[in-house]
Amino acid sequence: MRFSDAFEARFTEMLTHYPTKRSVLVPTLLFAQDEVGYVSEDVIAELATRLELTTLDVRNVMSYYSMLVTKPRGKYNVQVCTNIACTLKGGDELLSHCAKRLGIGHKGTTADGQFSLEEVECIGACSWAPAIQVNYDFHENLDVPKMDAVLDGYAKK
Amino acid sequence: MGTRGFGFGMADANITVDGKKITAPAGSLLIDACKNAGIEIPSFCYYPNLSLQGACRMCVVRVDAPKMPKLQTACTTTISDGMVVTTDSEEVKQSRKAVVEILLGNHPLDCPVCDAGGQCELQDMTFTYGASESRYVEPKNHKQEQQWSPVVFFDSPRCILCYRCVRVCNEAMDVAALGVENRGVSSLIVPNGGDHLDCEECGMCIDICPVGALTSGSYRYKTRPWEMNHVSTICTHCGDGCKTTLGVRSSEAGMEILRGDNRDKSGINDDFLCIKGRYAFDFANREDRLRQPLVRKNGVLTAVTWEEAVTAVGDKFAEVKQSGGVFGVIGSPRSTNEEAYLLQKFARSTLGTNNIDHQRTADFPAFVSALAGKPEMAGSMRDAYMVPAILLLGGDATDEHPLLAYQVRNNVRLHSAKLYVVNSQEIKLKRQAAEFAQIPAGTESGVAAFLAGDDSAVAAIATAITSADAWRALRETLRSAQNLLIAFSSDLQGDGIANIAKFAGSVSGAKVICLADYANSRGVADMGLYPDLLPGYASAAKAGLDLAGMSAAAQQGKLGALLVVGANPVYDLGFAADSLNNTFVVVQDMFLTETAAIADVVLPSASAYETSGTFTNTSGDLQLVKKAGDLHGTKPDFEIIVRIASAMGVDVSTLVPLGAGTTADMGQSRGAQSGEADRSAVYLQKQGLEARVSPFDAAALFDEIQRLVPGYDVSRMNLMAGNDVRTTTAGKAAALPASRGESLRPAHDTLFSSGSLGRYSRVLNSVAENRDSKLVEVAAD
Amino acid sequence: MSVVKDIAAVAKGMGITFGEMFQPTIVENYPDGPGPLKGAKFQERFRGAHVLQRDENGLEKCVACFLCAAACPCNCIYIEADENTEQNRVSGAERYAKVYNIDYNRCIFCGYCVEACPTDAITHGHGFELASFNATNLIYRKEQLLAIKPAQLGEGVTFNKAEMDRQGSTAG
Repeated sequence: MRFSDAFEARFTEMLTHYPTKRSVLVPTLLFAQDEVGYVSEDVIAELATRLELTTLDVRNVMSYYSMLVTKPRGKYNVQVCTNIACTLKGGDELLSHCAKRLGIGHKGTTADGQFSLEEVECIGACSWAPAIQVNYDFHENLDVPKMDAVLDGYAKK
Repeated sequence: MGTRGFGFGMADANITVDGKKITAPAGSLLIDACKNAGIEIPSFCYYPNLSLQGACRMCVVRVDAPKMPKLQTACTTTISDGMVVTTDSEEVKQSRKAVVEILLGNHPLDCPVCDAGGQCELQDMTFTYGASESRYVEPKNHKQEQQWSPVVFFDSPRCILCYRCVRVCNEAMDVAALGVENRGVSSLIVPNGGDHLDCEECGMCIDICPVGALTSGSYRYKTRPWEMNHVSTICTHCGDGCKTTLGVRSSEAGMEILRGDNRDKSGINDDFLCIKGRYAFDFANREDRLRQPLVRKNGVLTAVTWEEAVTAVGDKFAEVKQSGGVFGVIGSPRSTNEEAYLLQKFARSTLGTNNIDHQRTADFPAFVSALAGKPEMAGSMRDAYMVPAILLLGGDATDEHPLLAYQVRNNVRLHSAKLYVVNSQEIKLKRQAAEFAQIPAGTESGVAAFLAGDDSAVAAIATAITSADAWRALRETLRSAQNLLIAFSSDLQGDGIANIAKFAGSVSGAKVICLADYANSRGVADMGLYPDLLPGYASAAKAGLDLAGMSAAAQQGKLGALLVVGANPVYDLGFAADSLNNTFVVVQDMFLTETAAIADVVLPSASAYETSGTFTNTSGDLQLVKKAGDLHGTKPDFEIIVRIASAMGVDVSTLVPLGAGTTADMGQSRGAQSGEADRSAVYLQKQGLEARVSPFDAAALFDEIQRLVPGYDVSRMNLMAGNDVRTTTAGKAAALPASRGESLRPAHDTLFSSGSLGRYSRVLNSVAENRDSKLVEVAAD
Repeated sequence: MSVVKDIAAVAKGMGITFGEMFQPTIVENYPDGPGPLKGAKFQERFRGAHVLQRDENGLEKCVACFLCAAACPCNCIYIEADENTEQNRVSGAERYAKVYNIDYNRCIFCGYCVEACPTDAITHGHGFELASFNATNLIYRKEQLLAIKPAQLGEGVTFNKAEMDRQGSTAG
């Protein structure tokens, strides 16, 4: 399978950082997921070959991290934090609002493939609670109207 | 074994455990040090010689000095001088009790049904350290049992996540068929094929599982460990000589073997067994085992009594001998030493012929001749685990010599041994190799010549992967290696072996192993199952017919009688079935083989598991074969030969030395249970009285072997105690002609085949079929 | 006077004899009594011939764990275990006793097996007529030890597919 040149460059550079090849697996899985959208069977097989591992090894590592997924998800992955700080400031309301508006539940994906929703543990933005993360972007100090604005913004993109 | 690699050569540390002073190498593990001093520290995940896991927290102890804030896991704590440890305080007990309670939180309490009941480490720990009641009231998370292969079943609720199976598969076996999916409480042991295993099916994971999560398809739901007799004997399949403890129960047929393992780590194989050792004993229990002698009457094989069959053979043999007919005798490389020795003695003295041969799979005469006068150069199977450097020349040890491959892998892993692989194929052991040199197929003898100093040979062995320069560099590396162990396959013979021996002679402390394919290939060679060689490789006055010669004689109708013991010449030794029409053929075998089907008399013989005697493995380690039990209607080959001789009117005491002067049978010929000696025989011997031995007692003949066969002058007591003892190559082979033109018929067995015997193992066949069907599926994708 | 003394002594003795004649009998009228027990009466705790119990579905309770055989001080229990399959379901758990023999030549009715049984499969019944002229008759097989199937399940209840097929064919 073929990756982009940017991925290849990053991969090659990564290999120089660690004494053994297999150490590159975790960051590489994330890069590959960003590029493909999820970790497909092809990605698993390819990385296993490149890093001289078995596909079982790759699967075992993958299954440890909840951020790595084996099925395609929406273009925008809305991750709502419901840990203590966010919950006190209304994280649960945000989550139920998102679920209602998008018509999907935890780990669901909308029919048009635009959004997927996930309830996550602390994302390290407690000082600006309640906070959400969409792909790699943070949105903080939210309430229901602000949440709608954020989702509208992504829907228009 | 048992000491970790990094514990060697370290200074001693003095530590105090529970007020007891202990001395152990600094840097060794606390759990090992305590165990050696007789202080038991419980553990699930710790297993000697596997990587450390620290997963189960069962081995926690209090370390008082140096002061540590929390309880420490003894399996990951290395000891240092002045350490003070408490292992049995209330605090430690409380902690262990909590660990067991948590483990039992989701562990089903189905001990009455579980196969591990009676040999379960969790059961033992719960009795010793656990609480009698659980505070958990939540329902248990049940999951359906899965079948991963014909022989491996997995019941995930029983799993306590010690990761022993994963580690043994990854590290000791280097198969990596098992892994851990998910994390925390949802962790799950998973096979590499998704829902099935794609592996060597060695069963090590089942063996090592402390609970009943992994169970064996062939043993499960059959019995209980305490219901069986346990007999430790030697596996009858390949030439490595693994010790296997057979679990046996009596049955209507006489006895039934239920399982094979080596949990007590006795023998040269530690706890290792391959698929054949662990499951392929089931041929012995097949319903189509011959249980009654057959004699051809009016062209049809008819069941008769032993008396009638043996008399028929004796009369006919006497008649052929009288009329000066030609005899042929074919032995088996799976016979015990005693049977082989008796067979050649019977052929040479009673039948008066040198026409005796067997399926040769390695050129032992050349090997012994090459090592003449240098017996210290013969390597043992234990060396493969201990030496710092190993050269594997030819063959695929993983398939053909699973134990050798296992020991080599572990030696590389635990002792950082250097492995050099020279092969025409990229064999699996290449993964452990420090250097891999690829040669064109069939040029192994060129390698031997090059190593021995013939620089002109390099042209033939250089390839794109290994250039001539690389070869010269490799030779220099090997020459400077200390205590190099060289194991070569049957691709080398005659001059090739002489060259390897010559090269080994130039390397300091080097040892050599000649690899042969069957359980007693080395033994029957030592016992002289050759037309031109007597026991101990002494040249016969006049060479007889070898296999090809006998086949040709049969073709010309000149072979009067053929005695086949445990061999199948029509199937795999190049005999045409119709060529034996004018020959009186007697077959001693377990099954109605191709040869037995055309025989005139078929005598049902016992398998190696129903026989007592000794086996010499391919590296010359002599081990005791113990009888697990009798199968009704069969007789060991030893007894059959004696009976035939008797029917021919021979005084059997000329064949088997009886009475005074012989060493007492220690009970092994009676199928006495493991370790139990015949007390009356020991007593009689002590009193200087005559030991009572019968003419069917193989141990009586072993006396003669010890006396007459060079190299077999071993410690009898050590052997009887169940240890492996070294035979030496001190033979009379020095005078052998340089090239005898040995015709080898290597078996090329894989892990899933075993010469003509593997066909009769149901488990082996079902696993092989399962693999084939999986391969077909993959190919179709 | 000695005659009077003798008569008095005889009268005293006969008095007891005649007195006892009208007391209720305490000897069981076995084997001439009524009912299937032929007049024999038992304490509940009496340990007689074993009964292998069934569960409420009529499946055998015994899962062939071998604990009774292990507990037995006289080694009189012989078991061969086997695996339940879809086709042939005999017990409630994964395994069942294919063969379950008790050798009453050896059994001492100590009840250890009953104590050991984790599934309450083996119990002591009240059977005591075990005498035989032939010792081999005293080895009881599973079929002789099994409890009858629960009455509410009807006559032909079975969990053995092969058996069901056979019954179906004979019925039809």
